[in-house]
Amino acid sequence: MIPPADAGGTDYSMKITGTQEIKAPRERIYAALTDPLILQRCIPGCESLEETIPHNYIATMKAGIGPVKGIFKGSVHLEDMQPPEHYRMIVDGKGGPGFVKGVGNFKLEEKVGATVVNYEGELQVGGVIASVGQRMIEAAAKMLAAQFFKGLEAEIKSPPDPLQR
Amino acid sequence: MTKYVGQRVKRTEDPRLIKGLAHYVDDIGLPGTLHVAFVRSMYAHAKINGIDTTEAFKAPGVVAVYSGKDIATKVGPVPCAAALPDLKVPDYRVLATNKALFVGHPIAAIVATDKYAARDAVDLIFVDYEELPAVVDVEAAANGGTIIHESFGDNVAYKLTSGEGDIDAAMKAADKIVSQKMVHQRLAPIAMEPRGVLARYFPGEEELTVWSSTQIPHLLRTQLALMIGIPENKLRVITPEVGGGFGSKLNVYAEEALLGWISIQLGKPVKWIESRRENVQATIHGRAQVGTVEVGVKNDGAITGLRYNVVADLGAYHQLLTPAIPTLTGLMLSGAYKIPAIQMNVTGVFTNKMSTDAYRGAGRPEATYVVERVMDVIARELNLDPIEVRRKNFPKADEFPFHTATGLDYDSGDYDGALNKALDLSGYQSLREEQKKARDNGKLIGIGVSSYVEICALGPSQAMPAGGWESATVRIEPTGKVTVLTGASPHGQGQETSFAQIAADELGVDLNDVTVIHGDTGIVQYGIGTFGSRATAVGGTAVLIAIQKLKEKASKIAAHMMQCEASSLSFEDGCYTKKEAAAASVTGKSEPVVPVGEGPAGALNDVPTPTNGRHKLTIQEIALAAHVAKEIPPDTEPGLSATYFFEPKNFTFPFGTHVCVVEIDKETGETKIVKYVAVDDCGKVINPLLVDGQVHGGIVQAIGQALYEEVVYDEQGQLVTGELMDYALPKASQMPWFETDRTETPSPVNPLGVKGVGEAGTIGATPAVVNAVVDALSAYGVTHIDMPIRPEKIWKLIR
Amino acid sequence: MIPAEFNYARVSTLDEALTLLAQNEDAKILAGGHSLIPAMKFRLIQPPLLVDIGRIKDLSYIREEGGQIRVGAMTTHYQIEASDLLKEICPLLPECAGSIGDMQVRNKGTIGGSLAHSDPAGDWPAAILALNAELVAVSKNGERTIKAEDFFVDLLTTALEPGEILREIRINKPNGRTGHAYMKMHHPASGFAVVGIAANLSFNGNNKCKAANIGVTGVAAKAYRATGVESALTGVNLDDASIGAAAAHATDGADANGDLFASADYRRHLAEVYTKRAIAAAMKSVPSA
Repeated sequence: MIPPADAGGTDYSMKITGTQEIKAPRERIYAALTDPLILQRCIPGCESLEETIPHNYIATMKAGIGPVKGIFKGSVHLEDMQPPEHYRMIVDGKGGPGFVKGVGNFKLEEKVGATVVNYEGELQVGGVIASVGQRMIEAAAKMLAAQFFKGLEAEIKSPPDPLQR
Repeated sequence: MTKYVGQRVKRTEDPRLIKGLAHYVDDIGLPGTLHVAFVRSMYAHAKINGIDTTEAFKAPGVVAVYSGKDIATKVGPVPCAAALPDLKVPDYRVLATNKALFVGHPIAAIVATDKYAARDAVDLIFVDYEELPAVVDVEAAANGGTIIHESFGDNVAYKLTSGEGDIDAAMKAADKIVSQKMVHQRLAPIAMEPRGVLARYFPGEEELTVWSSTQIPHLLRTQLALMIGIPENKLRVITPEVGGGFGSKLNVYAEEALLGWISIQLGKPVKWIESRRENVQATIHGRAQVGTVEVGVKNDGAITGLRYNVVADLGAYHQLLTPAIPTLTGLMLSGAYKIPAIQMNVTGVFTNKMSTDAYRGAGRPEATYVVERVMDVIARELNLDPIEVRRKNFPKADEFPFHTATGLDYDSGDYDGALNKALDLSGYQSLREEQKKARDNGKLIGIGVSSYVEICALGPSQAMPAGGWESATVRIEPTGKVTVLTGASPHGQGQETSFAQIAADELGVDLNDVTVIHGDTGIVQYGIGTFGSRATAVGGTAVLIAIQKLKEKASKIAAHMMQCEASSLSFEDGCYTKKEAAAASVTGKSEPVVPVGEGPAGALNDVPTPTNGRHKLTIQEIALAAHVAKEIPPDTEPGLSATYFFEPKNFTFPFGTHVCVVEIDKETGETKIVKYVAVDDCGKVINPLLVDGQVHGGIVQAIGQALYEEVVYDEQGQLVTGELMDYALPKASQMPWFETDRTETPSPVNPLGVKGVGEAGTIGATPAVVNAVVDALSAYGVTHIDMPIRPEKIWKLIR
Repeated sequence: MIPAEFNYARVSTLDEALTLLAQNEDAKILAGGHSLIPAMKFRLIQPPLLVDIGRIKDLSYIREEGGQIRVGAMTTHYQIEASDLLKEICPLLPECAGSIGDMQVRNKGTIGGSLAHSDPAGDWPAAILALNAELVAVSKNGERTIKAEDFFVDLLTTALEPGEILREIRINKPNGRTGHAYMKMHHPASGFAVVGIAANLSFNGNNKCKAANIGVTGVAAKAYRATGVESALTGVNLDDASIGAAAAHATDGADANGDLFASADYRRHLAEVYTKRAIAAAMKSVPSA
């Protein structure tokens, strides 16, 4: 019974997984999840999201947890798009408090009268937030993910506004 | 005569420290001082494609901004003094030039009119990083993957095999081979005072003064002169009060050279005080070895041979001694035992982390941990009592000097004596009975023992990169006050007190009349510094011999003044007495003596009291006479001072046994130390109070390693224990009561008979704690657990 | 570690503070400063204005009023720890206070500052939840009371609206046969609660639990009431078996977090163990009938 040696490089990177059930057809949700306008409104603190080439965006985010706020500039990139089942979102942001990089896989499953969004993501943070905020990063990531889906649900519940398209 | 030596004399340093009247680097204010802040890499490994300093330059108060390219050729590289065969030495520039190689790597320096403006401007510098894969896992890095220094072709800085004896034959001769893999986690020294530098250049005089919180003022001066390109005799390093070092200030840092260079550029004083975050990121770390020990044993517990294959995590660059630290591990692998054949195979590996270097114990705690941990593993394998396995392999007291298969000659020792005393003091037998009872009641009690040896008094110059001697100058001033100038550089050890004790006793003067001066290269003769438990054994001996030299001269002057032969004088209580006069005084015929301090206190042009006919003179009277130089023998230099550079012939080898008892909370895995007994033998003791302090502090840091501390870099090389909210320094409230005692086996290496005690606790205690935890968990089949022993690790093992 | 530039206003009345807060949306209140100042030094919080309420009279007090215990928001941890009145009538508060940080923190840090910051590992939230406290918030629009269970919203987020200041904490004076305890695992570095459990139990004449309030901190993004434990205890004769069974619900519905020191699994386990211990200790603290 010799415990394995933990020789540094220990994996303390953050993994977030979750499931969100939204009462809407899968196509509708897929469209929303990949729509830059909706994404901008759902990504917490996202102040701008400009498309450079298809599915690649430059973003400014003012992310905050309570009084802790930071402005991040970076990119959002969508790939491996298999509508309406799967896509991957890659976020990369830098700012005063450090940097954030995230990869999230979204899998959409049909259920009677609803869609189940399964997401699993991995988050890397660096700079000050990594070196002094370690104990709260997981909670912060979950909080931001929850805010994202709350926003998404609200977007989908509200009737589509043709003028916005 | 020892009025002071051996006594619990209170530290003369303490009143100023306690009252806040001491002067650290940050307490020194010079008019017009500019302040420096650093932009440091937030990536572990990244290409620097550009640095935009435009905004920072425009910021209020900013005077200058320097980046790596500005100064690449102007300031020499951070030096590495370790000489190992085929060692790869990367070019370690004071600011990163093309790549950042660890989190905290300085990239740019901002100079501003105050520290706030400097810090604000840090946020205005935009570094264009191109992130590269970080090399974090040291074992993986040894075998390939991303290369940190591309020109080297791999990440292996060196490979070294050391030891004596035929290891293969020794292993064949064994009845059993016992092996265990162990991790010595990375630690941060965390001196209470972080580093700090103040540099002032006088353009007219072309003189640079650097105040730095360092353990090695003279070695720093030499290295800075080379790095900055200023003549060494135009450079003065001053070490004011230093709030601890633990080895982390036994170094030459980029910031020290950079501040000196900037001061020359700007012609103004510049200051930088390290923040705690910078301290955790960019001051050296310690330990960080992953190794497997194999021991050949006979069925009766006798060891036939020991092999240790280890990978050492060096970090991204070599600091002053980085690659040499694991070689000290190799030297100490014999522990307190007779081991006929020993081999260490070390691979030093670059990683994207801060450099490792000397941290309290410096390579020796790793060796002690390996040896003392594996002694318990052997006992378990052979179903023997761990005490008996140790006794079986101890050299006997009459076998000293004892030659080890690591190439050392242990000076003196009685390992059984210290072990027995520790067992008695702890009530070991009854502890074992209590443990059994507790187990029957469902409680987890563990008892751990560690019998250590350490290498101290570093050391003979042959074994040291920059010399292993130490210097002292002792002067008696015209007013009779004694000045001791030591090349050692105490930073918490209390040598202003202990060296004064040595001098006061040797000269027969009051302790308060002795002042010990250190840490100023403009005043003190060249010295080596304070580290490696060397200051008393080497530096204290230099003081002693310098005084003996001084007294030779004083006795000649005394004889001249009393018109007799020096050989007819005796010296006692600070007075030279004609021997016949001493005899006469017994019969009541002595003459009145001018009380000490009264006679020579007059102005210097006062002719000293005529000494004709006097039979007794104080050392103070002689000092005055030596300075006014009217009554000294012909062909004698005026003045009364002597300098001695002491070169030790060997290291010293303190030893001892520690016993630790822990209780483990079965439900939560929390470990509580319920008893701690330490019996240490550091040879002769100058001041038991200081020795106790060193032992206590050392044990605390050792417990810190065993249970709490770990510098953690995540998979991306981010330092996630970046400050003291996450990096768990041990606290007084977590510590048990320490029961300490000593045995005293004088060292033959120096006339004081002292061995050194600065690192004993850190070296001896860690395995005692871990052995106790493993002992407590033995009922669950646990044979080893890696440090730090966080409660969750235990919970996972026993749930 | 130097904070970004900020303005500083030391006010002498609550009204002045409220006016400044109303004018500056991102202003922060400086109470004891033991969470705020470190975060500012890391530049994670960069408020344009600090409103120091340390000199406002009558924000620091402990008194009994209308069958309630009233604690001013600026009362320090140490003042609570040392309060003879509280030791007598509400010992959970001094017990919790004594386990916070270290002496220096307890001498400067305040209960109101700590609650308003709502650190996920702070000690006070557990005790405040277990005591069913009410928190009095004041703004330009007047005062309102917020129930403890509604106060903690998310990570570092409370029900306080912009412009509001937490003024007072009110606790109904425990009566009858009650027992309290706060048990925590200290983080070895920060002293924060890896998990912290506050138990507030009341009993009938025997060992039958009349009501149970269990506050949990350190486990999730915010402190919470362990309602599963509470209902498992209520109306039950407390013994090792029933306590153990109840404690198994300590993290029901909670999203436990992991960090370097303790994984989410381990935290859930600790919450159960410490809940058990806190309940047992609370029982022990009941004055014998």
